[in-house]
Amino acid sequence: MSGQDIFFYVFSALAVAFSLLVVLGKNPIYSALSLVMVFFCVAANFVLLQAQFIATIQVLVYAGAIMVLFIFVIMLLNADAQSADLGKRRPFQAIAAVLCVALFALFAWSVKNGTTSPERAGFTPEKVASLGGNTQVLSELMFSDYILPFELTSLLLLVGIAGSVAIAKRKLEGARAESPKEGQA
Amino acid sequence: MSELIKPQNLVLSTEQLAMLMPYLIVAAGAMLTLLAGVIRGSSDPEANRRKRNLAAVLVGIATVTAGLLYTAKIWGEPGAVLFNGMLAADYYTGLMNAVFLAATGLVMLSSYSYLEKERIHHAEYYSLALFSCLGMMLMASALDLIVLFVALEMMSLGVYVMVGFRRADVRSNEAAVKYFILGSAVSAIFLYGVALLYGATGSMNIAQLATSLKSDPTGNPLLALGAVLVTVGFLFKIASVPFHMWMPDVYEGAPTSVTNFMTTGLKAAAFAAFLRVFIGLNSGGQGGGGTEGGLDASLHDVLWVVALVTMFIGNVIALTQKNIKRMLAYSSIAHSGYILVGLISGGKSEYGYSSVILYLIAYVVMNLGAFAIVAHLSERGDRRCDVEDYAGLGYRHPWLSFAMAVFMFSMAGVPPTVGFAGKYLIFSSAVQAGEIWLAVLGVLCSAIGAYYYLRVIVFMYMREPARAIAAKFAPAAALVVLVATAGTLQFGVFPSMLIHAAKKAAMNI
Repeated sequence: MSGQDIFFYVFSALAVAFSLLVVLGKNPIYSALSLVMVFFCVAANFVLLQAQFIATIQVLVYAGAIMVLFIFVIMLLNADAQSADLGKRRPFQAIAAVLCVALFALFAWSVKNGTTSPERAGFTPEKVASLGGNTQVLSELMFSDYILPFELTSLLLLVGIAGSVAIAKRKLEGARAESPKEGQA
Repeated sequence: MSELIKPQNLVLSTEQLAMLMPYLIVAAGAMLTLLAGVIRGSSDPEANRRKRNLAAVLVGIATVTAGLLYTAKIWGEPGAVLFNGMLAADYYTGLMNAVFLAATGLVMLSSYSYLEKERIHHAEYYSLALFSCLGMMLMASALDLIVLFVALEMMSLGVYVMVGFRRADVRSNEAAVKYFILGSAVSAIFLYGVALLYGATGSMNIAQLATSLKSDPTGNPLLALGAVLVTVGFLFKIASVPFHMWMPDVYEGAPTSVTNFMTTGLKAAAFAAFLRVFIGLNSGGQGGGGTEGGLDASLHDVLWVVALVTMFIGNVIALTQKNIKRMLAYSSIAHSGYILVGLISGGKSEYGYSSVILYLIAYVVMNLGAFAIVAHLSERGDRRCDVEDYAGLGYRHPWLSFAMAVFMFSMAGVPPTVGFAGKYLIFSSAVQAGEIWLAVLGVLCSAIGAYYYLRVIVFMYMREPARAIAAKFAPAAALVVLVATAGTLQFGVFPSMLIHAAKKAAMNI
């Protein structure tokens, strides 16, 4: 086992452990902070794959900007521990757990017995380095081969913004007659 | 410039631009509609609001009309593949785009009076509908799974918001949250499947995936797992059993006009994309004929069971529903089952996958009309949507009841309606393909379905009215009902034109 392998297993185990904390933690702030740790561990794995640019972006955008927003929202909504409590365990949760384990076994088996094939365009680390490094190759691909999904993503973000404004704007004009009482009927 | 940037990916020729125009028109229209939401002018907020909504709906209708006209203009031109093999502009795309644009336009028309009545009329509604329509168009034309995913998200994101548009209503909120959370989870599953496919084959392009699938007869578990996860994503979007749980709640809780949009546009788009991926993986993107050893063979048994259970459960649960929106939701699940039958048998029958396309169009036409009527007759807050509330409707609103009866007959599959033509083609394809049992059981399920469709008609014509339904005449909604009725009957009596178009489209994928 080389050093790289050891690092991979350490960071992956940490990522899994922190992911479990995100889901199982009762306090939303702890969950959010665990998620930050997950992002850091994933970023470390990106570094091991020689994708330094993605790792940096992962830390800057996800662990940095987005998670700060998450924590702001949690604090503004004043979500306390109780609101995250799902109540007592129900029998179907046991069934779900069994199914999840079975599914995990299937995934593990498929990944173990499956074969991967290299990227069609053949982007080996050496080739990427010869073409000017990660950042350059990524940006050039984004604006040539993958221009369509890239541009569509910007439209998708616009839809997200318009939609969240439509649903969250405190007072929409024309909503004058809206009151909880009437709506519940 | 480095060797990575291929000039042919950065330049669009005039022909390619023409092929892209419908998409560009809809994108531009959606943004313009967004701008219509900020019109001011007078000091009276109420007048401003009216002005905004009117501007938004007019821009929306104009966009859809322009898109349709342009689609007609490039109709039948030789297809092209754009953006490094990521987007197809062919006959199939043209036909499906026309369906999505027409459905979106008609939904917008029928929404106007409904949203006024519900007092949830905001200009953003039309913009989100147009963005969603753009997502649908891209879904049907995507040749690359990454484009498909982004398009799927674009379609869904707008609709998540539209489902929750009645912000003061708990049911609408619940529906929106349910749809959003389940939809996001399924998006993640779909994306995971795409990632596994990429890992197994090194490509996300459907044609290249098909080659990998063919060249690997021993079966790579990673590839299979990816394909299963992607299929799960599609099965969720078309609401087939066992991924149907979200649908009745969402359909019931959403404002009726949004339900209309979901049941027509979204479902058609999900099926259109599913069909393209399915055929693409079967045959490597050439022709509509099935081949041995493709995805068809491995997925056949799974889809067989899913189709049967979907038809059965959808129809049986619909029997017990009192609320007409909920009933139509379960019937929509059953219709997904029929379409899946067409998908299973398409590869081995004379009409190929055209039965799927025909049924999709039939389904869109009749549901558009039925939901427009339900939206029109409901009272504020979507009350009076029970089947009992339709008692005696035949005496008070003879024309509306006639139209409703036509749609119900069509959904039940009674000639001479388009629903019959669709069902006939589906089940005769199934028989041709040797799926005798599936066809027999499907027809039986469809007979169960006839009961609850006809019950609506019985209530309308053979019961004494319990309460008066007061619905003001709305010209736009009436136009929608008229178009849908005409379509249901026209395509029902003379389906050959539609079958021809569907067949050409299916061969073109």
